Amino acid sequence: MIKIILFLFLYIPPLPPSNIKANDYPNDAGGKIEIKWELSPSDSIIDNYIIFRQEEIEGKWSLPETLEILPRGTNYFLDSNCKNKVKYRYFIRAIKGEIWSDSEFSNVAVAHAEWFHKKRTSVLILLIIILAFLLYFVRRAKKEELFIRKITGLDAIDEAVGRSTELGRPLLFILGLGTIAEIPTIAGLSILKRVSKKAGEYEVDIIVPCYDPVVFVAAQETVKEGFIEAGRPDLYKEGNVFFLSYDQFGYAAGCDGIMVRERPGAIFLQGYFYAESLILAETGNSIGAIQISGTTAVTQLPFFIAATDYTLIGEEMYAASAYLTRDPLSLATIKGEDYVKALLIIIVIAGLILETIAFLTKNSLFHFLKNFFEVI
Amino acid sequence: MKKGVPLFITFISGFILIVALFIPHEPFGSLQERFNDWYIIVSGFTLILGIDSLLAYHYRKIKRKEKEAPYSFALLLTFIITLLWGIYSGIKHGNPFAPTSTFLRYFYTYVFVPLQATMFSLLAFFIASAAYRAFRARGLNATLLLISAGIVMLGRVPKGEDFSPYFIAVTFILIAIVCILEALPRISIYERVLFFGLAIISLILIFPIGIFLKTKLPLLSDWIMNVPQLGAKRGLFIGISLGAIAMALRIILGIERTYLK
Repeated sequence: MIKIILFLFLYIPPLPPSNIKANDYPNDAGGKIEIKWELSPSDSIIDNYIIFRQEEIEGKWSLPETLEILPRGTNYFLDSNCKNKVKYRYFIRAIKGEIWSDSEFSNVAVAHAEWFHKKRTSVLILLIIILAFLLYFVRRAKKEELFIRKITGLDAIDEAVGRSTELGRPLLFILGLGTIAEIPTIAGLSILKRVSKKAGEYEVDIIVPCYDPVVFVAAQETVKEGFIEAGRPDLYKEGNVFFLSYDQFGYAAGCDGIMVRERPGAIFLQGYFYAESLILAETGNSIGAIQISGTTAVTQLPFFIAATDYTLIGEEMYAASAYLTRDPLSLATIKGEDYVKALLIIIVIAGLILETIAFLTKNSLFHFLKNFFEVI
Repeated sequence: MKKGVPLFITFISGFILIVALFIPHEPFGSLQERFNDWYIIVSGFTLILGIDSLLAYHYRKIKRKEKEAPYSFALLLTFIITLLWGIYSGIKHGNPFAPTSTFLRYFYTYVFVPLQATMFSLLAFFIASAAYRAFRARGLNATLLLISAGIVMLGRVPKGEDFSPYFIAVTFILIAIVCILEALPRISIYERVLFFGLAIISLILIFPIGIFLKTKLPLLSDWIMNVPQLGAKRGLFIGISLGAIAMALRIILGIERTYLK
C-alpha cells in the first residue's frame, strides 16, 4: 500500500496553473508584456514554474521558447523582451522532478508604446498649478515688492565675511560631494557667487576645494564672476579654486587639512554632503571659525545644526539666490512655491480625513485621493 | 548672444526632459538615460581639467617652497608612481587591477582602504563631541532632544530596556541631590520647599518611570522614530522637493543664471 501511495506521489504529474492572463505592461515605451496566473493546486509540492512563449510569424505560431524558470509560489512574470505590435501567447509548465504538466495558453497579447504615462497625471496637474502660481506671482512682482521671511543663515553671510576680514584670514567654501547635475550644488554655486562678490568687496581671499571636476570648472567661473562684479578682478586668484580629490574621505581629509593650516575665519558648507559632513563641521568648529552650512541631505542636517553656527535647512538653500539678489522674478518663484506648499498641506489634511473615514467605514471609495496621488 | 545660446540650450533640454517624464513612447522614453550618458562622457573629459588643477596647485607649493611643500611633493610622487605603474600593469596584465597585478592591489588594499577607514572612524569621536554640544539642556528644545535621543538610544541598544531603570534611577537621584544642594543655602522658605519638593518628586518618579521604560522602551523608541521623526522628515522632503522644482523652473526659464559665465 505504501509503495502504491509513494508511486502515485512520485509519478502523478502536478496540476497545472490556471487562468493565465497576458497583458501589455501599462505606461511604458513598449516591449513588455506582464503575465499573471492562478497558482497550481499542487503548488506546495512542485519544484518550479517554467514560462513558455510563442510568437505569431506570418499567421502561424512559432515553436515554444523558454523564457524563465520561477520558484513555486510565484504568480507574476514580466516579459521585457517583446517586440511592439507582435502577437504573443504564453503557457506555464508546473514541474516536479522528472514529470510536469502544462497549462492552457494565455490570451493573445500585444506590446504597445504609450504616449502618456497615466499614473503621472497628478504630477502633471501639480506642475500646471505650480506654473500658474509662478506666472501669477511674476505678474504681481512687476507691480509690487514681494515679501519673503527672514533667513538668518543668509543674513549672516555678510557678518561671516566681515569677521574673516577683521581677523585677516581667508574664507573657505566647501561645495560638498554633489555633481553639477544636482540642484543643491547649483544652489551652492549661487551662494558662492554672493560670497565671492563680498570677498572681492572686502578684499579677502576665498579658498574653494572641489570634489567633482565639473563643479571645479563651474566654481572657478563663479568665483571669477563674483570678483568681477565686485569690481576687483585683480584680487581673483585662480589657484585658490582647485580640484582636491574624487574620493569622499580623501576630500574630507584635504578640507580638514586646509582648515587646520589656513585657519579660515569663516567656513561655508553649501551643497550635498554625506558622512563627511560632521568631520568637516567639527574640524571647522575646533578652529573657531564662523560656520554657515546648508544642505538638502536630511540625514546630515542634524549634524550641521549641532556643529555649525547657522544652517540653511533644505528649501532655504534653494531660496538663497532669490533671497540674496532680491530679483523680483526669482522672488516670484519662491512665493509660488509657498502657495503650492499651502495647497499641499490642504491636500494632506484632506487625505488624512479621507483615509481615516476609509479605515472606519471599510469603504475603498474613500481611497480615491490616495490612489490619485500614487505615482509609479 | 554669449548668454543667449546656453540659455536656449538649457531651456530646450529642460523642457524636453519635463515632457519626456510624461511620454514613455520613444524617442522620449529613454531621453533621460541618454542625457545621463552624455553627462558621464563630458564629465570624463573634465577630469583631465581636475588633474591639471591638482598638479598645478601642488607644483606651485613646491616651487614657492611653502611649509607644506613636502606633502605636495609626496602627492606628486605617489601620483606619478601610481599612474606609471597603472599604465605598466594595464599593458602587461590587460587591466591595472588584474589579480596578477599585485603592486596596485597591494597599495589599494593596504594603504588606500585603511586610510579611508581611518577618516571614517574619526566620525565616532566627532559624533560624541557634537552630541555633547547638541544635548546640553540649555532650553526646552534641547531638553526635549536630549530626552528623546536618550529613549531612542536606549531602545535600540541590546538589553536597553533592562538597563533603562538603573539609568533612570541614577539620573533622578542625581537630580534629587542637585535639588537638595540648591535648597540648603536658600533663605526663602518658599524656595526651600520648592527645591525639596522637586527632590522628593524626582525620587518618587524613579519607580513608575523605571517600570514603564522596562516594559515599553522599545515601543516608545519605535514610536519616536516612526511617528514624530518620520513626520518631520517627510515635511522636510516636501519642502525640499518643492524648492527643487522652483529652482529647476528658474534655471529652465533662464531666471537663475549663476552657472553661466
